[in-house]
Formats: sequence, C-alpha cells, structure tokens
Amino acid sequence: MADPSKLGMEFPVYSIRVEKNKIAEFVAALEQKDDTEQINPLYRDVDAAKKAGFENIPTPPTFSTSYVFWTGGGLLGTIKAVGADLSKLLHTKEEYEYFAPVCAGDVITRKMKVVDMYERGKKEQANRYMQVTVLETDLINQRGELVIRARTTFMERG
Amino acid sequence: MALVFDEIQIGDVMPPYTSAPITRTHLVRYAGASGDFNPLHHDETFAQAVGLETVIAQGMFIMGIAGQAVTSWIDHRWLRKFSVHFLSMTQPVDLNDYQTTKDRATITVSAKVVDKYEEDGEKKIRCELTARDAQGSRKLKGFFVAALP
Repeated sequence: MADPSKLGMEFPVYSIRVEKNKIAEFVAALEQKDDTEQINPLYRDVDAAKKAGFENIPTPPTFSTSYVFWTGGGLLGTIKAVGADLSKLLHTKEEYEYFAPVCAGDVITRKMKVVDMYERGKKEQANRYMQVTVLETDLINQRGELVIRARTTFMERG
Repeated sequence: MALVFDEIQIGDVMPPYTSAPITRTHLVRYAGASGDFNPLHHDETFAQAVGLETVIAQGMFIMGIAGQAVTSWIDHRWLRKFSVHFLSMTQPVDLNDYQTTKDRATITVSAKVVDKYEEDGEKKIRCELTARDAQGSRKLKGFFVAALP
C-alpha cells in the first residue's frame, strides 16, 4: 500500500532530450497509423511545423507522460518509490497546464513530487477502500521556463 | 478553419472524432511510443492474475486520442489546460471475434463550448469533453481550456 509518509517526497530530478522520431512514433500510435509517413505532417516535418508557427516539430498534448516513463526507473520505479502495488493501481485522473510549446530538440527537466495522499472509504470494507496518491510534475525547458505542469492521480485498491 | 473567439458561441460543438477499433497491436505500439510498459496493457497472463478478463488500454492512450481530437479542431498552440477523469476500462477488439467486440474498442470523442471569458489578458473558451465507446460506455470525461485569437 502507498506509504503516507511519502507525502511531500520529491523524486530525483531527471533531464531528457525531446527526440523528433519519438514524437512521430507517439503520434503514429495515437493516430493508429502503421507508418510515421502517414501522420499529421505537423508532427514529422520541420517545414510544416515552422509554417504552423513552431520553432521545431511540436510535442502533442499528452506527450509529456513519456518523460516520466523513460526516466527514473520508469513506471515501476515511480510506483515502488511511493510504496504502491502495481497490480492494485488505477490511474484515475490526469491534468495538464500548458505554459509554452515543447518542441523537438528541447531538453526537458522533470521535477516530480507527491503533493497529496489520502484515503477513501473505510479500511474494514476492503473492496471499497482506496488509497489516493497525487503526483505533480513540473517540466522545465533548457531556458529555465516552466512549460508544462502535470498532475497525476492514481488510486490503489485495498 | 481557424477558430476566432468572437465567432465561437457557448454550445458550439467540436467535430466528433472516432478512433479505429483498438487492437492489442495498437496498445503495444502506444506502450513502445510512450514507455508505459505496465503489463496490464499487453500481457494477458498479468491481466488475468489481477482479476481482469483480458488486457486493457492505457488510460493515457485514450486521453491521447482525445488530445488528437482537440488539436484537430483548435490550434495546438492555443491549448492552456487539459484535464480528464478516467471512468471505465477499455478492452481491445478480439480479432477472432471482431464483429461482436469492435464496438467496445471504438472510441468517439466529443466536446462542446461551455464558457467564454477573459483571463490573464487572453480570450479563452472552456469546453467539456467526453470519450465513449460505440456501446455508449463513457471512458473519460474532462475539459480543456484554449486561448483563441
């Protein structure tokens, strides 16, 4: 079960470079295409991205989920760090605030912390008891600008 | 098709966006693209060990599809907030039983404008968003805020 003493815990800070091919691959997955040539040109063609007003190929709105998965031991590393059990976990809410675009070539530093932990239901009713954990992740680019703030809520069944 | 704040009205709807029926291959492709290797999304033996019939789609895959729906309508640079609650699990289509399982794996995203306001020197719209499968089951609900010219 998630450990309530982890409330306020800050995870180690990691930086990751946003790779052009990774953006195309992510969009191909979302657009259910077999080939990155078939996706919206905005996400694979620098000229199309510049024409649309970006400095380089932009990342789609939910791309930043991958910065957490590709650093710090990935999903399992994050879950273990709060003491939760993967087999009982449900992702229940995801929120993003966008402050500036993130494009290919940017170096994103992620600062994640546990901002809330609480219980729902009663421990005596195991099937209705949930432990809720909220993570807040600030994503900061190579110029020191906060570009995205993400809040992730997951529940762990008792 | 560029949207303009003055021309958009409360009650206007986003053009609906419908996915292809989600297959296990789509889940694996999303896993590789995002780095979400929770075995719940690709390993039947793990899904069954935790009491599910089969693997389920990543919630973030469904939110990502919703994001594509939104940015097909509004310029990606205008998005200021995007928030969803995940409401139910999505099972992929079974390729050996396609006709009876495709509807549970086909996601339609819809949204409508519920507010127009000015904030921080920007003209904003707030839209409520829902994703449902073709059986009518809600997968997620939420909202997004966009700043329009």
